[in-house]
Amino acid sequence: MVDINVVEAKGTARPKRVIDRLGLAMRASHVLVALFVVAALIFAAVGVIQDDRFFLRLGTEALIFAGLALSVDILLGYTGLLSLGQALYFGLGAYVSAVVLKEVPSFWAAMAAALVVALVIGFLAGLIANRVRGVYFALVTFGLAQVAARAVYNTRSLGASDGLIGVPVVPIDLGVITVMSNSPAGFFLFTLGFIVVLYAVCAYLLDTPFGRVLLALRANERRVPSLGYSTRNLRLSAYVLAAVIASLSGALYPMLRGFVSPELLFFTTSGNAVITVVIGGVGTLAGALYGGVILTVLKSVIGSLTEHHLIVIGLLFMATVIFLPKGIMGVVRPLIERMLRGGKR
Amino acid sequence: MFLDYIQFVLAPQMVTGLSLGMAVVLVALGLTIIFGLLDVINMAHGEFYALGAYLALALGASGVSFWLLIVIVPLLMMPIGYVVERGLIQRVFNMPDRHVTTLLLTFGLGLVLEEGLKVVFGPTTQRPATPIPGAVEVMGVILPTYRMFLIGLGAAIVIAVALVVNKTRLGAMVRAAAFDRNMAASLGVPVERVFAGTFAFGVALAGLAGVLLAPIYSVFPTMGRDFIFLAFTVVIVGGMGSIAGAVVAGLVITQIQALSSLVVSPVWSDPIVFSIMVLVLVLRPQGLFGRLGHG
Repeated sequence: MVDINVVEAKGTARPKRVIDRLGLAMRASHVLVALFVVAALIFAAVGVIQDDRFFLRLGTEALIFAGLALSVDILLGYTGLLSLGQALYFGLGAYVSAVVLKEVPSFWAAMAAALVVALVIGFLAGLIANRVRGVYFALVTFGLAQVAARAVYNTRSLGASDGLIGVPVVPIDLGVITVMSNSPAGFFLFTLGFIVVLYAVCAYLLDTPFGRVLLALRANERRVPSLGYSTRNLRLSAYVLAAVIASLSGALYPMLRGFVSPELLFFTTSGNAVITVVIGGVGTLAGALYGGVILTVLKSVIGSLTEHHLIVIGLLFMATVIFLPKGIMGVVRPLIERMLRGGKR
Repeated sequence: MFLDYIQFVLAPQMVTGLSLGMAVVLVALGLTIIFGLLDVINMAHGEFYALGAYLALALGASGVSFWLLIVIVPLLMMPIGYVVERGLIQRVFNMPDRHVTTLLLTFGLGLVLEEGLKVVFGPTTQRPATPIPGAVEVMGVILPTYRMFLIGLGAAIVIAVALVVNKTRLGAMVRAAAFDRNMAASLGVPVERVFAGTFAFGVALAGLAGVLLAPIYSVFPTMGRDFIFLAFTVVIVGGMGSIAGAVVAGLVITQIQALSSLVVSPVWSDPIVFSIMVLVLVLRPQGLFGRLGHG
């Protein structure tokens, strides 16, 4: 067991890396994500043995929406800003990917296009949204998504209310192997890897001084500029990062389902992502992945009993807000942290 | 030719816009009062509006007259609002990040209410009969009577609310609690009950809007969702917590919507409204007017 309480740096060869409370929490998140991956691999193995299609594809969808939740968590957990319109970027990525795939069936072209579009739109929308805080931010992001959804809904060339259908199956060339997007297990594993990479990128960025200053910004916005940081650029960067994560996740959607519809941009999609993050645990990143799976499981289990499953999910959500403000990760992660600390203190 | 345009196109359009405006003002009024006093964004407000409409529909079907409904439904909504405030919102009121927490909580409540309406009343769209049929002619312009009634009643309600808030002892207590909670409490204002009562009042206003608008815009479970974006925009543009702001912004924005739809496709109505919101936020982040209890 590595002793991570060591703070002294002796003048010897290399000072030991100092791990503080936040670093420890991040490590605990890594452990939880590792457990998540193991569980997902077992799930995939069982799926392959059972020759299952339905559950593997449902699992893939859960992972894709977990990517969207991850982007909500970056904003809510690290800058304290609640986005009620993250579906904007998810839908954007999905539509861009669908349009590109229908022209050139190239996975990398679709992903690159989704990335570029998210960077550009995220930057422009971020300039607007980051002028305001708190409640206003929630409503501006809500409004932006609303406008985009209406625009898509009324654009004939994007399929209007029907969406775009007939997105072809694409081969995903990973250099070593090629995964077909219609292979249930293959695409599930690919999506799992993809979302873990997204998680790793976020976790890395948010563990750097960039992430620390974001948290400081959340704690006290007035003091941060006096320490020499530009709050505007920081918040804008976090916003664009969230946009990119949402867009890249969305870009996988048409590969899985073969179509995109305007519902992807609707408030329901944004709202679900918020529910996912809150149930999973705000500001933990791993919570988004767990929340995504929990929500999907709840939906299909309760949904098979009653079509009004939203009542149950809504009540669970309210109970989480009141009784477990830190979500499921708020209960689980401290246990992992204690284990990592080696049972000390 | 020009006069004909005014008589048959412009004037009716403006009256339609005005009746929509009054409707939005009624919904926004409750929203803005709740925010101004409690610092709570009530995401379930649209669902309370829908609940009011459904109560009116159900009671109306069992023979209660429309005039009675205008009184009964808000009275029924009051205890609901009171219980929600004491049972749910007070629980998270003192958590850090009150804005986000209450927003999330009321968002969940909205989900449950909307789905509950579907369970109880079914997903179909229903439309109660217009309580006052017919049309009146004003200076050669033919206008539906009910819309004229709605505009008049809406104006009366807004004035009454403004008088209560600004001129009565109760209103003074409410404003004092909004301005400085602790000071008001130390002077003997029962702050918690004032908060719950105000929330109940805002919810009752939403319910009243539901009763009044059901005959025009039909009743369906997601009706609150369609309306709430407009109401939120009005509240933001007018200034969160400002009654005057909600009225001015509500009427101006709906007129812009109504008149612009003569020139461009109604598809653009949302983007136009949103652009107004963004413009106001960029130029005057606090909205056009100040906040309840503050100056």
